[in-house]
Parts: sequence; structure tokens; C-alpha cells
Amino acid sequence: MSARNVIVSIAAVGLLVQAPLIAHHGAAAFDVGKKVVLKGTVKQWIYSNPHCLLTLEVTGEDGQVVRWIVEGQAPNVVYPAGYRKDTFTFGDQVTVTVEPVKNGRPLGRILAAVTADGQTLGAASSGFTTQTLP
Amino acid sequence: MRIQVLGILVVATVFAGDGFAQTSSPDGWLNPDWNKPAITAANRKPAPRRSLAGMWAPAEGPGAGTQAQGVQLKPNNGRPENELPYTPYGLQLYRSHKALEGKDAVLPGNDNDPRNRCEPLGVPRSNHYNIRLTQFFQDEYKVAILYHYDNRWRVIWTDGRRLPKLVDGGVEIGGELREPRFFGYSVGRWVDDYTFEAQTIGVMPDDRVWLDSTGRPLSEQARITETFHRVDADTLVWSETIDDPKIYTRPWDALRMTFRLHDPRTDIQEYYCSPSEQENYNKLFGADAGSKGAP
Repeated sequence: MSARNVIVSIAAVGLLVQAPLIAHHGAAAFDVGKKVVLKGTVKQWIYSNPHCLLTLEVTGEDGQVVRWIVEGQAPNVVYPAGYRKDTFTFGDQVTVTVEPVKNGRPLGRILAAVTADGQTLGAASSGFTTQTLP
Repeated sequence: MRIQVLGILVVATVFAGDGFAQTSSPDGWLNPDWNKPAITAANRKPAPRRSLAGMWAPAEGPGAGTQAQGVQLKPNNGRPENELPYTPYGLQLYRSHKALEGKDAVLPGNDNDPRNRCEPLGVPRSNHYNIRLTQFFQDEYKVAILYHYDNRWRVIWTDGRRLPKLVDGGVEIGGELREPRFFGYSVGRWVDDYTFEAQTIGVMPDDRVWLDSTGRPLSEQARITETFHRVDADTLVWSETIDDPKIYTRPWDALRMTFRLHDPRTDIQEYYCSPSEQENYNKLFGADAGSKGAP
């Protein structure tokens, strides 16, 4: 099943989303500007360098389950944005807005998240404006 | 009762007098304060004389030191004003570097960035990669800089020793050939009471280190000049000039970043480059993200 068959909503996210700061792997793999909203069940949350990784199982409209892995920046980077080691736990029902990779695989980076207890978080990056580039 | 009141007053005085607003501090583990008020005429305090000591971080916020698109003053974005003055060899070397960032970025898994093998960044790349909470310590002999990323540190000697002579294969000290180092050989001096200048030579050769995350090269012939200007008690401007005749036809400025002083008690989260964590990340995410199509 393609990643496109999951619950998708482009724009109309209703969340303030900042462009994430790319620190470790580059932006070339990502479909920059595209947003996908995933509602799913947390299978794993790795709070580790070089990037935090959230594994979600998402049931598509056709009933098939797709396992997504979406990333945030390193713990010290995402901490000021509110992401903690226990922000996501196994079995949580969460909504995550991601920027997917270009190649169609169910991978992306976190632009915003709503946790199981209703907390809304922004991009899993520094959450601050980067330097002004000339 | 009188003793209790006195105790409270003493504690209050200690905390009020250190000049740092209290931020989130669960159980005394102080979190970084990224929302400091701007320095104005009303709150500006004079800089201490001949001191860089303190915990510093980019004034524009924690992301300002990321420099993902290359060195701060010359981001590798294809704009003509940011093109570097490569020698023919320097350009050839740049083209051989497969970086994950910048205008010539490749997909994950296709890169050859030594950073992704957790090689030490060295000097000056440590100034150009995720420079965040950075601690300066100094005594009468040296200034030590503790970088956040990968818990790396370096020493700039201030005891009057001379900079070694740059020679083929390393540097010459007392007639001996000494090996090149990731963080080179650094000496510094106070230009005036508030301006410190450091010179570094003897860095690793161009097949071991990069200048920035976009694959700009650097060679063992590099001479790095850094200036640290203490504008006031809370503000430091860190500048850097690269002179590497093997790679670049002329010296050029790579950095001029303003830093704010942070509470010295601030807890710093680890930001190691761990080979096993890197491998796990690549296995779970990086390799698939960089592959050409859906499985």
C-alpha cells in the first residue's frame, strides 16, 4: 500500500508550523512544503541522537495499516520545543503533521504533533527562527 | 524566626545578584533560557576586562548556530556573492565531496561527509556546525572552549608561546616535526582589554576534514584567525577568517556571530555523535529516506 493512501490533509492543518532546521541529514530527501497529517498509534519513540524517531501505525481509508517512521531533531534541539523522552508512549493515539520524503516511502519529519493528552507541539526542531541567510 | 528570615534574605540576595533571570529549573537542573530580554542602554553592563569566561550561545536563538547551509557569512545557496574563491584544486576537491546540505546536496546514503562517521569536526568546522551552548574557561595560561556538539574542547594558549611554523606534514616546534591535529595548534593574545585574537594552524589534511556541512574543503595549509570581541557583559561577537592558499585564492570571512551570556549553572543536554546511534538511525530512517523509490 502506498503512503498516499493514509489519512492525508494538505494545508488546513490549523497549527502554527515553522520550517524545521535541518541539522544532520539534509533536506534533499524531503518533499519540502508538502504536509501529511497522520492519525495513528504509537509503536515506538526513540529519543536519541542524531534524530528522534517516532514509529506510528496508521490505518488508511482502505483499512490497511501502514507503519510510518517520522523524525525530529536531536533531543537537545527538540527539548525547547516541548518534546520529551515520554512525550509519546506505546499505544498512544496521536496526530502528527509531517513533511514526507520524496520517494513515496512512509517516512517524514515532524512539523507538528498533538499528543495523547491533547498537548499541541510545533516542529520537532529548535522551534526558533534560524539565522537570516543572505 | 529571625534566623529564618535572614536565611531567606541571603538566598534571595545570592540569586538576585548573579545577573541571571531565573528560568525553568526543575530540581535545580537549570534549563537554557532562550527568551532573554534584549540588551539596551537600560540594562547594559560593562564587560569585564580581559575575560571571555562564561557560557555563551547564539544571540538569535539555539538554531542560529546550526549553519546547515554552510558557514554563516557564506551560505552555500548558489548566489554569486556567496561563491568562494576556489583554487583549481579547491574546486576539484569540493566537487569530490558529497554533502547532505547546500546547493549540491546528495540524498542520504550517498554522502561522504566525515561527520556522518562521527569523525571529529576539528577547527574550524566546530565553529560551523550546531554551535550552541559553548563554555569558555580561562586562566593565566590559556583559554579553553568547550563545544556542545560531540562534547569537544580545544585550548588557545595565552602564555606567550609563539605559533609554530607551518611545514609540510604538520608544524615545526623546537626543530621537531609535530603531527597535524583536528583542533590544530592555537595561540591567542589580547588586542585590547575587550578583544581577543586567536591564530590556529596545523589542522588535519584535506582528506580528513571539511570546512562546513555543504562539503566546502579545508587543507592542512589553513591559517584560521578568530576574533572574540566582548561588547558588554552579556554580549560576545565571534568572528573568523580563513586563509588557505591551497584551497582558496584569498582570505575570506566565514563567521561573525553574536553570542549571549547564559547562566553558568545551565544544564547542557548531550549531543554526542555515537556511531551505534548513527547506524541505528540510518537503518531505521536514513537509508530508506535516501533510496530512489517506494519498495
